[in-house]
Amino acid sequence: MKTLAVVVTTPPYSPLTVTALTYVETALTAGINVIGVFFYQDGAMHANENISIASDEYQAIAQWQRLQQQYQLPLHICITAAEKRGIACDSVDNEQINEAFTVSGLGELVELTTKATRLVQF
Amino acid sequence: MISSDTQEESNLAQGNGLAIINSKAPFSSDFGKDALDVALIFGSFEQKISLFFQGDGVYQLIAKQDGTLVSIKDYLKTFSAFEFYDIEDIYVCQQSLVNRQLDETFHIENVNVLASVEFGLALNRHQHVLRF
Repeated sequence: MKTLAVVVTTPPYSPLTVTALTYVETALTAGINVIGVFFYQDGAMHANENISIASDEYQAIAQWQRLQQQYQLPLHICITAAEKRGIACDSVDNEQINEAFTVSGLGELVELTTKATRLVQF
Repeated sequence: MISSDTQEESNLAQGNGLAIINSKAPFSSDFGKDALDVALIFGSFEQKISLFFQGDGVYQLIAKQDGTLVSIKDYLKTFSAFEFYDIEDIYVCQQSLVNRQLDETFHIENVNVLASVEFGLALNRHQHVLRF
């Protein structure tokens, strides 16, 4: 079976993230097996619970959360990228991290890349 | 510059794996360091990986640079560890060097300088591509 992995490097307030979300949701609704999304560089900011985007703007974090719940889509954030952006990842039940996201390392990116038929970066 | 037919064939035979394109200058953003971290992790998991340098990314290969002069950690030094991580396929876009009037003098060895078409063909042999 063909599998898709996605890398997101853009922050939650970026219009490019909207493209990533549209792409991933379209893949999911088309029945494509999306094995995970890896958030690297500014993408790690998605897991920051303290981010608040004006209510009349696109709510990327809520959208990722919805996809995670609806499709059990694994959302991995890179711990190094997250910590350098002020998201403390040291404790398991950390209130700073959005619960839809799993704290992972770059090793997870290796895992996703080797399993995926195709890797797409945003 | 290595561009003999045998070299081309051996690269073709290796096929797929991950290609990382480096497209940014070394000390004006995190991109080069972030790409390096990915490359080294793939190397340490013994995954096949090739590095491509194109556009301003070619500045990452130019010799005699010292990031510490501008208070930036000199991650370029770590490039010398590529061999240790079995990262041996390193390609640089010749046209990008020419456009920036840069010599083919690099701070690491075994860099393949490729014309645009060959650069594209080499990239096309990979299953996955990440760009930083």
